[in-house]
Amino acid sequence: MTSTFHSIETARRSLVTQTAALNTTGHNIANANTEGYTRQSVKMAAARPIEAYGFSNSTSPGQLGTGVEFGSIERIRETFLDDQFRGENSSLGSWTIQSDTLDKLESIFNEPSETGISTVLDNFWKSWSDLSKNPEDSTARKIVVQTSQSMADALNYMSRQLDNLDTDLATNISVKATEINGYLSSIADLNESIFRIESMGDKANDLRDQRDLMTDKLSKIININVSRTDSGYNISLGGQQLVQGFAASSVSSDSLAEAYGDGVTGDLKSGEVYGMIDSSKRYVADYKTQLNNMANTIATGAVEITLPKGSVMPAGTILTNDASIIQADGTTVTLAAGDAMPPGATLNADVKTTVNGLNGLHQLGYTLDGSLNPGKPLFTITGDGSTITAGNITFNPEIAANTDLLATSLRTTGTGASEKVVKGNNTLALLIANQHSGIFTAPTGIKGTPNTFYKTMVGQLGVQSQEATRQTENSNYLVQQVDARRQSVSGVSLDEEMSNMLVFQHAYSAAARFMTTYDEMLDKLINATGTVGR
Amino acid sequence: MLRVTSNMMNAQLLLNLNRNARNMNDTQLQLATGRKLNKPSDDPVGITYSLRYRSELSANSQYQENVDDAISWLEFNDTVLMQTGDVIQRLRELSVQGANGTNSQEALNSINAEVKQLKEQLIDIANSQFKGKYIFNGQQYDVQPYQFPTGPDGTLDTSTASSIVTDDGLLNYAVGDSVQLPINITGNEVFGGQDGDNIFAVIDNISTALVSGDTSEVSSQLGNIDTRYNKLLAVQAEVGAKSNRIELMKNRLSDLEVNLTDLQAKTEDGDYAELLTQSKIQENIYNASLSVGAKIIQNSLVDFIR
Repeated sequence: MTSTFHSIETARRSLVTQTAALNTTGHNIANANTEGYTRQSVKMAAARPIEAYGFSNSTSPGQLGTGVEFGSIERIRETFLDDQFRGENSSLGSWTIQSDTLDKLESIFNEPSETGISTVLDNFWKSWSDLSKNPEDSTARKIVVQTSQSMADALNYMSRQLDNLDTDLATNISVKATEINGYLSSIADLNESIFRIESMGDKANDLRDQRDLMTDKLSKIININVSRTDSGYNISLGGQQLVQGFAASSVSSDSLAEAYGDGVTGDLKSGEVYGMIDSSKRYVADYKTQLNNMANTIATGAVEITLPKGSVMPAGTILTNDASIIQADGTTVTLAAGDAMPPGATLNADVKTTVNGLNGLHQLGYTLDGSLNPGKPLFTITGDGSTITAGNITFNPEIAANTDLLATSLRTTGTGASEKVVKGNNTLALLIANQHSGIFTAPTGIKGTPNTFYKTMVGQLGVQSQEATRQTENSNYLVQQVDARRQSVSGVSLDEEMSNMLVFQHAYSAAARFMTTYDEMLDKLINATGTVGR
Repeated sequence: MLRVTSNMMNAQLLLNLNRNARNMNDTQLQLATGRKLNKPSDDPVGITYSLRYRSELSANSQYQENVDDAISWLEFNDTVLMQTGDVIQRLRELSVQGANGTNSQEALNSINAEVKQLKEQLIDIANSQFKGKYIFNGQQYDVQPYQFPTGPDGTLDTSTASSIVTDDGLLNYAVGDSVQLPINITGNEVFGGQDGDNIFAVIDNISTALVSGDTSEVSSQLGNIDTRYNKLLAVQAEVGAKSNRIELMKNRLSDLEVNLTDLQAKTEDGDYAELLTQSKIQENIYNASLSVGAKIIQNSLVDFIR
């Protein structure tokens, strides 16, 4: 036997449940554009039907329904897609940074252009060729000084820009470390909040959304593993636990660099921070080394030259091959390789010798300043250091101050005290101008012309940058794809919410109508029955 | 079945719009610079070629400059040698005249006066300067080769002219990759160094003979004049040959320049017809995606529910 008011209770439950569903629809619509929001749905179930208890079953057949109930409000989400998204997001992060760095490197190299190192180098060789036509001309000398200085300046500038890029990357890493720590402690806090709320049987849907969003963001910065436990998300970077339950550990630039290790076997394998450390350690460092080698090779790298017959070199010059020389007294002897050149000796035949770069070559010749001193090194070092690098290379300031100190001549006339330099001899200027196609040996043992060294760098940069751009596009596409799949599951569709709204609204109206009907029934029973004979 | 939400469509639309805009931007950049190679990653292989062509073009333009300078030197050499030839021819005429035994001593004296003038002129020629350089003094072109002390009579004492040794250093100009060309000739080659037919010595001999009326000695110098003249012609021929060689070099360099510029253009330059077509297509695609975007964003069920 059912209660008189049974159906009023049934109608009430229906009203409550449809209202809850409508509210949830409203919540979904409101958050349609909220980042990281997962649509929610009310899980409705028919309420437990009545079965009268007692010694015997009710005599009426069947079970009497008691309306509807909602057990929970669920998020609609697939964790598999989350994991996939985070993996792809990580590599997107690292490729984005790498292609960004390479892009910056390309603008530092600034090729092809009228202002890049290659033009500066070409101008340098040209100025020497010009000087070879007018070795005594002070204008041509000034131009050589200018082009040499601008070559050194260009190398310095590029080296400084590479340093700045490195500094920027280091700064960004520490900013990212702070960001990571923020996310880690938020996730740990959320773990705790969610645990508290859900232990009372509720669903902390919106907090879970937040936690997933934080995790997504974190995945772009570093590669993470997420394991889901009863106490929340445990997050690790390779073998390192970053969040365990309610406790978060923190990272720093140093710990991240340690996690990067050698870039292959370390815990840090992708993500923006990986991209930054990798950019700095691999690209920037590599180009800096190559640029340093190039500057060093031009100045001091071994190169073989041929000194023409008739050349006179300052006393004490050392050649690396045996040379036949006419001594000051007119006798012809063979000067053994490695022996010092006697004063006033003239080469009796062409001889090949190896010199240490343009510096070494310049020191074989005579200057215009009236002395019989050998030339000074063309390039010197600013500041400290014993090795010429792109950062410290400078055109010898002594020569810049007195262009007569540029050596162009390999000939003297007269002997003894009346010996003086032949100004019109341009042998050395020609030799230096010809070195634009000279094969230099870099400290690394690689041989090539100065232009080849540079060309190789630019070509390599082009390939790396092209590759990084392609990889970035690919990862971006993959992230978009996975995110679309995720959105397909979890995203709010306004059309769907609207149709749900109609359904819930109608259900609500119908429940209300049912209640009215029952009300009318009772009204009939109470107010319109039992009035016979009144 | 895949659920599609309006946010997904928006995201997709944005992605496509962005991609189309980027393509358009790339094409615009190529159109604006006229180059398809604007940074190394545009064509990593092309960039190495591009840099090579650029530096070869730069070296080539320097060689062309050097060639032009060499040509003007050689032309000047040629002019000076012609002048020398003219003087020697005149000297020969005077010598033939002076060798004739019928001349009076007065006539011989006046011939001698002209011969002396010729010597002065030859010395002037021998001290020719080109762009401030004494062309007949080898690498010591900053020093005047035929310098004389002032004699007792206040004029220059040129009697030592025949014993002057000019510098034999070569002025080499680089006119190609490891191609060097000496562009100067030495004074001794032209006027005779220690040779018996040193033109100054010959003139001095003729002068002395004319003064003493020794016509046979004048006549015997005719042979020396002829050998000197022939040597001069040989030098002139050499200068001519060098000029030809350098003209060839010049042509070769300008051909090379055309070739290199052509190769550079192929590597670096954009094809306008192609780029403009591409740009137009990309513009259309972009417009299409914009209008599609406007349509998909408009409608949802919201618009149809009362």
